[in-house]
Amino acid sequence: MFFEKAFPHGKKERKVIENIRSHLSLLCTACHTLEAALEKRDRNLMGEVINLENEADIKRREILSNIYDGAFLPYLRPDLCKFVEIVDSIFDFLEETAYCYLEAEIPPEMAGECLRVAFFNRQMSEMLLITFQALVDGEDLREKTLAIRIYEKKIDDIKNYLTKDLRAVPVENFWNGLYLSNFLSSLTGISDVIEDASDHLQIISVSIR
Amino acid sequence: MNVHEFMTTRLEFVDGGASVYEAVEKMVDKRIRSLVVRFSGKDDGYGVITARDVVFRVLAKGINPQKMKVAEIASKPLIIINQDADLNEASGLMEKSNVARLFVSDGQRLVGLVSLMDVMRAMLIIRARGKYVL
Repeated sequence: MFFEKAFPHGKKERKVIENIRSHLSLLCTACHTLEAALEKRDRNLMGEVINLENEADIKRREILSNIYDGAFLPYLRPDLCKFVEIVDSIFDFLEETAYCYLEAEIPPEMAGECLRVAFFNRQMSEMLLITFQALVDGEDLREKTLAIRIYEKKIDDIKNYLTKDLRAVPVENFWNGLYLSNFLSSLTGISDVIEDASDHLQIISVSIR
Repeated sequence: MNVHEFMTTRLEFVDGGASVYEAVEKMVDKRIRSLVVRFSGKDDGYGVITARDVVFRVLAKGINPQKMKVAEIASKPLIIINQDADLNEASGLMEKSNVARLFVSDGQRLVGLVSLMDVMRAMLIIRARGKYVL
């Protein structure tokens, strides 16, 4: 089978797959921590999201060096590296969201919808991990990527409401307004990048068939 | 997956005494297909007006929507489901009541709306999760 040849499970490959899985699990943890921090209004948990981004950076470097250490066929390596880089940029969005939360004041009337976005982000991150596992198992990713697009559309709808609500929020000074705007923009931007990552998994899946 | 996980939390309201045209304006501006109708006086409680009601009962019959009140075409009572109900319950109730949207309650409080499309999307997600348990 071409799939086994293109996506073998040798020692080096197993190490990369395990590390990508652990990178994605870290993403699920970070999304879950962000959701819990918003729910409990816990600044310490927000700090934990920032720490998880640092951990993810270390994991990303390890995966990239493992890949170029000879795992997988050379033609597949750039695509796998790109996937890892996209996942890493999801962590950047999470970190930005956490930093902005620490500086901004979230109006109580917007808090509920922000929490819903964080909830859907967490569900999407879990679906991304499932999609990766399905790729490793040699399954068709079509239904998984559709589920991710459904979540993304749901967040887009909430983003529209939040953007309209934002216009009605009285801003006392420039920096408060900027941080609140950046918080919403990064919180709702996480799903776009998760969708990009899932699309990239679909490309990898097609390329190894 | 429960109804509250996939419902739309934004409900838009219109007074029963408003004209159908006002309701249509709101639906167009907000890009939605239904509004919760607030009745006042002895006819209190909630109803619903949908784009379907507007088209079939007003516009297609050549009736002027500015001269008809929302209360005249609104459906009452609302078909309501508890926020902790699961999706199978929701789809069953939709099928039984022949409606494409259910209002979601938390006790006595209306907290959202779940449409047939929401149920379809949620079921597709459950299907995509399949055997994978995290």
